[in-house]
Amino acid sequence: MASSSSNNYALEMIKIYKNFGPVIALDDVSLKVKVGTIHGLIGQNGAGKSTLMKILSGIYPSGTFEGEINVAGESVKMSSPLDAQVRGISIVPQEITVADTLTVAENILLSELAMNRKGFYSKKNGLQKIGKFLEDNEIPLTADQLVSELSLHKKQILMIASALYKNPKVLVLDEPTSSLTSDEIANLFSIVRNLKKRGFTTVFITHKLPEILELCDAVSILRDGKTVRTSERSDFDANQLVSDMIGRKLGDLYPEKNILPKDARIIFSACNLVVENPRKPGEIMVSEFSFDLHAGEILGLGGLVGSGRTEILRALYGDNRVLAGKLELQGSEITSKDIPAAIQSGIGYVTEDRKLEGLFFNLEIKSNSTASILDKFKKMGLLNKQKEKEVATEITESLAVKPQDIYEMIGNLSGGNQQKVLIGKGLVAKPIIFMLDEPTKGVDIASKAEIYRIISDLAKEGVGIILVSSEFPELLAMSHRILVFSGGAMRGEMTGDITKERELMIMAIGQS
Amino acid sequence: MKLNFKSFSTLSPFVKRLIFVTVVFGIFAGLNPSFANYASILSIVQGIAFVGIASIFLVLLITSGEFDISIGATAALSALTSAILVTHQGFSMLSAFLISLGAGILVGLINGLVVIYGKVPSFIATIAMLFMCKSLATFVSEGKGIADFPDLHEGFKDSILGEYFSIIIFIILIFVGEFILNKTNFGKVIAAIGSNPEAARTAGINTNRVKLLLFMATGCGAALAGYLSLLHFGSAWFTLGSGWELLAIAGMVIGGTSLFGGKGTVIGLFLGLLLMQVVASGMVATNIDPWWQTVITGVIVLVSLSVDMKRKKVKFDAK
Repeated sequence: MASSSSNNYALEMIKIYKNFGPVIALDDVSLKVKVGTIHGLIGQNGAGKSTLMKILSGIYPSGTFEGEINVAGESVKMSSPLDAQVRGISIVPQEITVADTLTVAENILLSELAMNRKGFYSKKNGLQKIGKFLEDNEIPLTADQLVSELSLHKKQILMIASALYKNPKVLVLDEPTSSLTSDEIANLFSIVRNLKKRGFTTVFITHKLPEILELCDAVSILRDGKTVRTSERSDFDANQLVSDMIGRKLGDLYPEKNILPKDARIIFSACNLVVENPRKPGEIMVSEFSFDLHAGEILGLGGLVGSGRTEILRALYGDNRVLAGKLELQGSEITSKDIPAAIQSGIGYVTEDRKLEGLFFNLEIKSNSTASILDKFKKMGLLNKQKEKEVATEITESLAVKPQDIYEMIGNLSGGNQQKVLIGKGLVAKPIIFMLDEPTKGVDIASKAEIYRIISDLAKEGVGIILVSSEFPELLAMSHRILVFSGGAMRGEMTGDITKERELMIMAIGQS
Repeated sequence: MKLNFKSFSTLSPFVKRLIFVTVVFGIFAGLNPSFANYASILSIVQGIAFVGIASIFLVLLITSGEFDISIGATAALSALTSAILVTHQGFSMLSAFLISLGAGILVGLINGLVVIYGKVPSFIATIAMLFMCKSLATFVSEGKGIADFPDLHEGFKDSILGEYFSIIIFIILIFVGEFILNKTNFGKVIAAIGSNPEAARTAGINTNRVKLLLFMATGCGAALAGYLSLLHFGSAWFTLGSGWELLAIAGMVIGGTSLFGGKGTVIGLFLGLLLMQVVASGMVATNIDPWWQTVITGVIVLVSLSVDMKRKKVKFDAK
């Protein structure tokens, strides 16, 4: 035991340097995590967080980078992910990877079972052992529950439990909140705090600053492959952290709102609309409400997840039933019969889930961007590829998609650029009203700024925008007006003003 | 009535299927009382023993998320090879048996290597293997069959053991398969691989090695079935085993094995095959046109699959 007893760091990564050919991914990065603390690691996408974690998890083995790693004071060289686990580093990745057809206990025990493949499995012993483990660590899971019955959030907790079961010296949570609701985030935080009480050391990776401020004892900020700052909780300064993180002032993020003329034309109106719950046919999701949308206006729909925002957009797009009410587009009545009819009449929609229902991941940018208007490229019944190419090129250029190669596969693009193609896919049909559902979900800050610019430019051209977002600052900064929904009804209307976050939150929670 | 249905739906899938098979058997027995005797039950089980033996390890393989379409052709190839070796080349029956198992394992090994390292989807790789084994079997038997395979032992064939050895081996293997899946760490590892290969890998499981082993076991099981059939009938034709793969798949689907991997049951396979055979034999016993038999089988497969899907959907909505 060469390590000195005064060393109170669970993890030290010292002067890490990593390049990919000519590209320097990490340049003199250091990360020191004290025993028994929650240490935040924050940075935008591309800042180097994932490269650093791949080094820590052994995916980039020792020798492929420069620098030193100490775990609990001892220098370690890791050759593989399994090796990293053995040395006390457990990483909970962002993607949910659990075995759905096994029970909670079997999932947690899996690496133990794998180590002893010739052994016999006793369901009873397994349940007992894991039941006790879950109870001891106050993890809200039931040992004998089938994993396929768990919500996404519970599956994530299961992954944390599996990592914890290996009794790691350092537990790393990689962007654990990216697909959780606010309740679930609170729940996750209390679990992490509990672990801290029990002496565990956690590294918490995120790109959301409020989470760091709420949860962490210290934070390290990565930007462009460098550690720009490490602060203790007592020195936390939100503004400083933000500008360290993005390297510029926050004000630059949102574009200036276009001023609506007093007599702006109403291009769309919904009158006494009742929207169906798509999961329970016949039942009402959102009860009677009405609104007008003006040309060039950005209208926000605010509310918590599950308040019916998405269902409203889908109803207008013909993908969810309108139970009652009247829709008028440019003065003439329309029915939202189905999606082709909606596109035809000039309604565009950008889904919140680009992976599942937005894009064709096995196709290139070209086919993705033109998918909804292939009809327009017909030439004697065949597809006019030249025309298709022109349209795809135009949209790729106008939205500044990177790379500017219409034959690039969607799967190879960054989240931000995928999102731009998704927006382009809706825009090629030249919509009169354009509805965006969580348009900046899972994209980095630079792409966010670009997407805001795209939305704002559309409004300036006179398109009516309906915006749904769970990020209240975004909704407030972008929208002219916001309609707030909660508990299946419209609660009120407010002007979009970045300083009114509290007001919006109170209305969205539905307490009056 | 409603209450009864509710309590029925809380029974274990195994009991539910057992009740269903019994009810179907009961209906046919009601229509033709002579159908309800031990002899017909035994002949029903005998009728599924060979395809059953060939499918036991296939259940494990499918649970791990892979597939093998070539089981019937593998059985034919190894049965015909050992038949030729014994009748034309003077090999002993034991050495022919070992060679035939070896051939099955080899076929499984090739399947596994092509799928795992050649990255060919197992469905396609094993269809190719099906064609190759089938034509090799036709080739070694010169397009005919071997009809003069000797009996295992004078007197053995007339004993109870001799008459029902394939049923006995089938039942033993059912327990072996079920035991592996439920009572060993290896069984949990198999299910984990089929359920989420990435989760299995991060848990430190060498998924390739497990799959390769299962491919070989499947080939071995198919060869065993082929050889036992040869022993039972004293003859083998190059058509031996054709259609086994479809019966096996249908039996698994009815029995509750997920074709997408992650969830497998060998007893379920048994009950699924049993149900199809009860329907087939029952229709003969009640003089229903046998041409309807495959139609009924199709309906059973569809119904059992859609019942499974419905249950999943309900669960999904509930969360």
